[in-house]
Amino acid sequence: MHPELSNFAACLRELIEHPDFLTGESDLDRQFDSLALELFALQFKFNAAYRKICEARQLTPQTVQGWTQIPAVPTAAFKELELTSLAPAERTTVFHSSGTTEQKPSRHFHTVESMAVYEASLWQWFQLHFGDPGEFVFLTPNAAAAPHSSLIHMFDIVSRKTGGASLSLNRSGFFGDITADGTWTIHFDSVVKKLKSACDSGQPLTLLGTAFSFVHVLDFLAENNLQFQLPQSSRVMETGGYKNRSRVLPKVELHALIHERLGVSRENIICEYGMSELSSQAYDLEIQHPASSIQHRAFHFPPWARVQIISPETGGEVADGETGLIRIFDLANVFSVAAIQTEDLGVRRADGFELLGRAMQAEPRGCSLMTT
Amino acid sequence: MNLPNYFLADLPPEAELSPKMIAEACLALKQNREKFLRPRTTDSIVKLLCEVATEWQQPDNKFRKLALELGPTETGFSKPILERGLDGFFKQFTPDNFQALLAQELGDGVAAGNDEYRMMNDESPDHSSSVIRHFWRGPDFLVHIAAGNIPNPTLMSLTLGLLTRSAQFVKCASGASFLPRLFAHSIYELDRKLGSCLEIAEWRGGNLALENALFAEADCLTATGNDETLAAIRTRLPAKVRFLGYGQRVSFGLVTREVLREDTIAEIVSRAADDVIAWDQNGCLSPHVIYVEERGAVESDQFAERLAVELAKREAAEPRGKIITETAAAIASRRSICEALAAHRADVKIWSSQSSTAWTVVFEHDVRFQFSPANRFIYVKPVPDVATVLQGVDAVHGKVSTVGIAAPPEKMKDLAWQFARWGATRICPLGQMQNPPLTWRHDGRPPLGDLITWVDFEQ
Repeated sequence: MHPELSNFAACLRELIEHPDFLTGESDLDRQFDSLALELFALQFKFNAAYRKICEARQLTPQTVQGWTQIPAVPTAAFKELELTSLAPAERTTVFHSSGTTEQKPSRHFHTVESMAVYEASLWQWFQLHFGDPGEFVFLTPNAAAAPHSSLIHMFDIVSRKTGGASLSLNRSGFFGDITADGTWTIHFDSVVKKLKSACDSGQPLTLLGTAFSFVHVLDFLAENNLQFQLPQSSRVMETGGYKNRSRVLPKVELHALIHERLGVSRENIICEYGMSELSSQAYDLEIQHPASSIQHRAFHFPPWARVQIISPETGGEVADGETGLIRIFDLANVFSVAAIQTEDLGVRRADGFELLGRAMQAEPRGCSLMTT
Repeated sequence: MNLPNYFLADLPPEAELSPKMIAEACLALKQNREKFLRPRTTDSIVKLLCEVATEWQQPDNKFRKLALELGPTETGFSKPILERGLDGFFKQFTPDNFQALLAQELGDGVAAGNDEYRMMNDESPDHSSSVIRHFWRGPDFLVHIAAGNIPNPTLMSLTLGLLTRSAQFVKCASGASFLPRLFAHSIYELDRKLGSCLEIAEWRGGNLALENALFAEADCLTATGNDETLAAIRTRLPAKVRFLGYGQRVSFGLVTREVLREDTIAEIVSRAADDVIAWDQNGCLSPHVIYVEERGAVESDQFAERLAVELAKREAAEPRGKIITETAAAIASRRSICEALAAHRADVKIWSSQSSTAWTVVFEHDVRFQFSPANRFIYVKPVPDVATVLQGVDAVHGKVSTVGIAAPPEKMKDLAWQFARWGATRICPLGQMQNPPLTWRHDGRPPLGDLITWVDFEQ
């Protein structure tokens, strides 16, 4: 382990765990640029695969002036290259990108120290959005069943931090399973039992899962003619795409169905944006952040990660309200690469963004275009 | 655009089409066709089409001017690209080329004016002359479901339908009726009666009410689109309708080592660039990949580099059109992964336009066929021999339209034979990939032969 990176990780963790990180005047905000440049210099030094990419672009710690100039690495590069400063022997965990159709998943390597930063990062931001959670219902397999899913690891941490691990399946916990071929399934009967008991007791629930998990649950409820009015402060956290695992619903429709079948209002449905290549997540809940005046229901990353919406045409940042590719600088990615270029399109909304989704691979027009 | 309201596509954007309007338009087309088109001779149609095409090539022709002035906004292609594409198309419209098409499709009898093969719609057969063995007739009512906004396939469909004396209804994809409309107007201007046998409309595909009204009237329907779209249309057609579907196809180029010489390279690169910029590489006939044989006097990576230089030059003179953000994002994403790989591997190289997505050349050794995001994004892949090309394109077997080849003349025939045997449906010189002749058999199918019905007359 490189002591400089370890030191950086330890300092960053302190900043993340510092209670005033949300005041808008925390050290994180003030120091973001210098922290980013410091981390870039370390990653340039210790992450050989990243250094080559930077050198090819002729961007080095000597030439880069601010965090926005730091070369970003495409998420797809995590499939082809080992973008890590961890030696093979130091790697204790690897997170893979999800998706059933991908032959070669992304690989984001972790070690104890990087996991500590990751966990601090996810927990602090999660806690802020789900402060008074009630009980958690995770519509996914548990971490033992899916050890390479960063999403499930996050749920696992949340579960453990809130004491969920000690609770039996019937009270709180993971309601999903995984089959031999990797398909995620849901214990519908247990979920229904849980929903019923919440309605009876008046104890709010937080349901967490992927969009396709919710589609499966909603379809099951519809087939069985079941409808619930969950206690008032119940919430839903919905994330990710469909990955060919269920029919695809437009977000508005999915949320309308959640409202209809579970009685959870739109403002209590919170979307999460995260990926295996990052160590921080964004949520689209409006929060009272003194440093910005949020008008839209836009996604925001925590103060230790910043987003840029990049024009795919020019490579420059787009103006407010315009569409571009989402680029994230995540300080919590200490041992991999902090600057990540996604293939997702978003609309810039002040210091946040509205998610449009994955940029489709352009199909040739003409004869091969859909007749639309 | 100040054009009279002849076609449904001429209606203002706020006008909403109804199934009743479609049914009425179909009825009018059929009546006009009986009166004005059925009695026409093949010669007179050919003459008119050649006149229309000659007009389109005149610099002051009003339809050409409209196409070039408004086209960049309406179609997303720059003026020079529209000019190149339309001129390339219309210059094929000569009496000789039409004769060749008719001879190919209907037999030499028609081409020679011999009445052994007579069309039923031609003036009454002269029974005093030689023996009549066959007649042919076109569909009474021909419908085209046209995809995308490359105009040539749609203009060609209309042309073929005129030769078969069919009433025709063209349903364009939304936002793609501009050039078909201008073409139909140009026919109308020269021959109002013929123009009244054509209809051009535009709506977003999948409008069941409008499409069912249209499908119910069709005798024959042509459609271009991806396989799912074609399958969906097919299941909705009444059984009596002859369906001609043209699915998704891809194309690629091949440059053999013999022509990779200092004295020939400039021309070969220029021809490759012609194919990449034609219709901004949008369409089945544009190359996704150019395979280049190794061990030429000019090496394959030098070919790629020179192609990049050429594409930069072309961008200055014949710029690529504007593309939507999603397409730009696909190009940017593809570029960034190639750049990351190029930083690590000597066998991957990338050249691209600065501060724009205007053009990209990716050189990589992986011989597998790669789908390009189009819009002047070309893969150059070195190969030891043609056998390796055939392995590389295995994944798109059955989906390949055109192979554009640059090779010495004495090798062309053998290469053509190899690719023909493998499953391609068109082999042409590099540089001509987007310029098929009038006689081109789309997907290997006879262009007129698929439309018509033969009548055998046994005496």
